[in-house]
Amino acid sequence: MIIGGGSVGLMISYYLLKKGVKSIVIERKYPGSGNTYKCATGIRASFTSKEHIALMKRSIELWSELRDELGVFYERSGYLWLLSREEDLRTFKTYVSFQNELGIPTKIIDLSEVKCLAPTIVIKDLLAAVYDPLAGKASPFDLILQSWRLLVEKGCKVLAGVEAKKILLSKKGILGVETSAGFIESSTVVLATAYDTVKLLEPLNISVPIEPVPKHAFITEAYRDLFKPLIIDWTTSSYIVQTPHGNFLVGSEIPERPSDKLLNRLEFLRKASKVWTKYFPWMKEAYLLRYWTGYYDMTPDHHPIIGPLDDLEGLYIAAGFSGHGFMMSPSVGEVIADWIAEGRPRVPEALNLSMSRFKKGKLIKEIAVFG
Amino acid sequence: MWSHPIISFKRGKRIFFNFEGRLVEAYEGESIITALYAIGVTTFSWSPKFKRPRGAFCMIGKCSSCLSTVDRVPNTRICIEPVREGVFIERQRELPFISAERPLLNDQVEKAEAAVDLLIIGGGPAGLHAALTASTLGVKVALVDEGTRLGGQLIKQTHKFFGARNYYGGVRGFEIAEKLSKKIEGSSNILVYRNATAYGFFHEGVGVIARHPKPMNIVFKPRAVIVCTGAMERGLEFENNDLPGIMGAGGAQTLMNQYGVKPGDKALVVGSGNVGLIVSYQLLQAGVEVRAIVEITRSIGGWFVHAAKVVRLGVPIYLGHSIVKAIGSRHVEEAVVQAFDDQMNPIPGTEKRFNVDLVLLAVGLMPDYTILSQAGCIMKWIPELGGLVPLRTMYLETSIPGLYVAGDAAGIEEATTAFIEGEVAAISAAEKLGYANAHLLRKREELLNFLWNEYRQACVIERARVGKLKATVSEEEMEEYWERSIANGLGLPRSPYTLQ
Ligand SMILES: Cc1cc2nc3c(=O)[nH]c(=O)nc-3n(C[C@H](O)[C@H](O)[C@H](O)COP(=O)(O)OP(=O)(O)OC[C@H]3O[C@@H](n4cnc5c(N)ncnc54)[C@H](O)[C@@H]3O)c2cc1C
Repeated sequence: MIIGGGSVGLMISYYLLKKGVKSIVIERKYPGSGNTYKCATGIRASFTSKEHIALMKRSIELWSELRDELGVFYERSGYLWLLSREEDLRTFKTYVSFQNELGIPTKIIDLSEVKCLAPTIVIKDLLAAVYDPLAGKASPFDLILQSWRLLVEKGCKVLAGVEAKKILLSKKGILGVETSAGFIESSTVVLATAYDTVKLLEPLNISVPIEPVPKHAFITEAYRDLFKPLIIDWTTSSYIVQTPHGNFLVGSEIPERPSDKLLNRLEFLRKASKVWTKYFPWMKEAYLLRYWTGYYDMTPDHHPIIGPLDDLEGLYIAAGFSGHGFMMSPSVGEVIADWIAEGRPRVPEALNLSMSRFKKGKLIKEIAVFG
Repeated sequence: MWSHPIISFKRGKRIFFNFEGRLVEAYEGESIITALYAIGVTTFSWSPKFKRPRGAFCMIGKCSSCLSTVDRVPNTRICIEPVREGVFIERQRELPFISAERPLLNDQVEKAEAAVDLLIIGGGPAGLHAALTASTLGVKVALVDEGTRLGGQLIKQTHKFFGARNYYGGVRGFEIAEKLSKKIEGSSNILVYRNATAYGFFHEGVGVIARHPKPMNIVFKPRAVIVCTGAMERGLEFENNDLPGIMGAGGAQTLMNQYGVKPGDKALVVGSGNVGLIVSYQLLQAGVEVRAIVEITRSIGGWFVHAAKVVRLGVPIYLGHSIVKAIGSRHVEEAVVQAFDDQMNPIPGTEKRFNVDLVLLAVGLMPDYTILSQAGCIMKWIPELGGLVPLRTMYLETSIPGLYVAGDAAGIEEATTAFIEGEVAAISAAEKLGYANAHLLRKREELLNFLWNEYRQACVIERARVGKLKATVSEEEMEEYWERSIANGLGLPRSPYTLQ
């Protein structure tokens, strides 16, 4: 049984099905309604830890398969990191060589190449950029709707509008879950519930170090194709990406504390538009369609918590993605399915990502988080 | 141009503008779309994927069928954009592109902040009466409206209103609008912003873009807000329902009654509610031939007097019939109508063809709820009210303390109830802001008594009454929601509630 019908929950169910294991997913509202439908659609392996890179290399292979198997929109259209400070350029040079060693083809490019990738950009204040041709974007709507459809077709259950209330234990392990639709028995339970994982495990005296941090995004009306890559302004922690429909999806970091309420803030609209109209002056006359807020489920080391819990047989966690759970969902789904069906993950680096790392003090470092 | 039996159009100064390289004549005060309609343009865009021509539909800025490029700014709603001397209009044949090789309009936007007591969004019947009521109590009001003229849908109503004498029984809609606008202009307590859009509720205030005379981005910090955004017309599913020449009945009214431009020559009207009947009569007045009115149910929806008037003028009303298909390459040329059985299935072999260039859909409205939903109000789906509406108390306060709703935005009804709701909401807001007295509260009780126990007892309003009952909750129940809203940080920046 999987609690949470976001990208991670459905992908776990999907890869379990590939191993012949049928599962049931329960989702409080409707699949995708958590963070998945709010995400910026970006997919990349250009991280700064070997764990992230290993998981994402596998994910990127799987994204191509998902495109072919399910008809999910997915495109390797690249990431472009804009740098405007000397010190950033220096650090990114070290990231690039680290990534290159691990087979990620990132490279520092000059401003004329930036102009080629995003022809309407104003490069005045820029120094250089990092380009990641392996990165890309996908449609969260396709991923959820197509996998949901297939799961139901093949006899799995995806229950919308059912909330997990309490995990019930037996002497040996898990008995099942008490839900808003009654008790559901299952000796294996996966929590794919983002920051709500904290609440679900509290009654079992397990404290999970995940904090929800408010994030803001807006989307414009649809315009003609202007550039392919997802573009990041490293200085201001902002991003912009054009969706397959032509809308521009924009995010930008503003001061927010963990667990703050989700509020619509003009401050965000002002900052995000200031950043991106500087690079793309035409955007001053783009109309905004929608603005929404969501949470990044942040862990202390910005890496997800995935895998079985040491002292509770049958209970698995896949949460705390710190802003990267959409791109990771295929490989995380596969890894959890491995664990459940075969007892160990095919990506060995995933072993470093279990809950026990916090107890053991084995935190991992990741710097490349933005938005 | 024709001479209208009721309206004498006061045309503004003659000006010229550029339409895709053609010099076009227009009158100041018209919308761009009107000026184009007047020279026979009826296609305003092409769908980006299949390149299907798209005509006008709502004419009041609520749909997207007329989005055009104005002075190189794409996606402009030309139905509410006033025409200006020398302005350059291009239609969009594919997804637009914003060119940056010119001075950008938004570089000239001024920013301002305004602390007002009461912000009213929407200047139709509900908003106008709310503004007047509150202003006479001494409340400082800002009134914003997207249109060039105040009055909302009153502007295009040329018929005499029914209903109580104190609610303009016997007066024509546009005359009511003129009268109320004058009063509002004369009030020192009301600041009016026309061509202005309230774009959202934020932690910092309510954002409003005012376009004319100069572009301004104003953040209002009100202590209370009344949302009177009205409604938009519904479409209908049938083959080729996007052909130019097929539009909302209200859209046609805007063209002919507000701007004096004929929407077509031969019309089919779908729906026999009051809107369908009245628009048919107005079409006849404007010299448009009405070939038929079709109504899918077995009975006429609107008032008998309205139906009698059009039948007397020779317009057949086909009950149990509806449109199933439009035919035409660039514009409607023919409409196919079919009989429907009691289960609402079309009966084969009953097709009739009408040779028309105009199909008006008068098949109902839905509340313009978007800004209420964005603000975070608890919404409820109520079919009797036309769709999603906010929960409210008897005094019209929503689940966000200090945020009120009145008129069609609170659920589709009609103008008299909109006037009354505007007054009720204004008194309630004034009470919250500390302007109340016993007399005022007694007045509110009288209004509510009249509204619920007299006016809404009429059988034509029965449906709306049932709906409004479903949307209304007790103050006790609402208090729970107010607390929840405040806990979630939803509230107005200067509301007495959030000042803790
Ligand atoms: C603005 C923004 C931009 C982002 N951009 C990106 C990006 O570009 N790339 C990327 O990879 N990631 C991005 N993310 C992060 C990404 O959205 C998340 O990491 C990802 O969606 C996590 O998926 P999930 O399945 O773990 O969580 P969710 O999609 O949040 O799913 C969890 C689900 O669990 C359900 N649930 C919770 N409690 C219960 C319960 N008790 N019972 C039943 N159901 C329950 C919730 O309703 C929810 O649907 C972004 C996030 C935000 C907010």
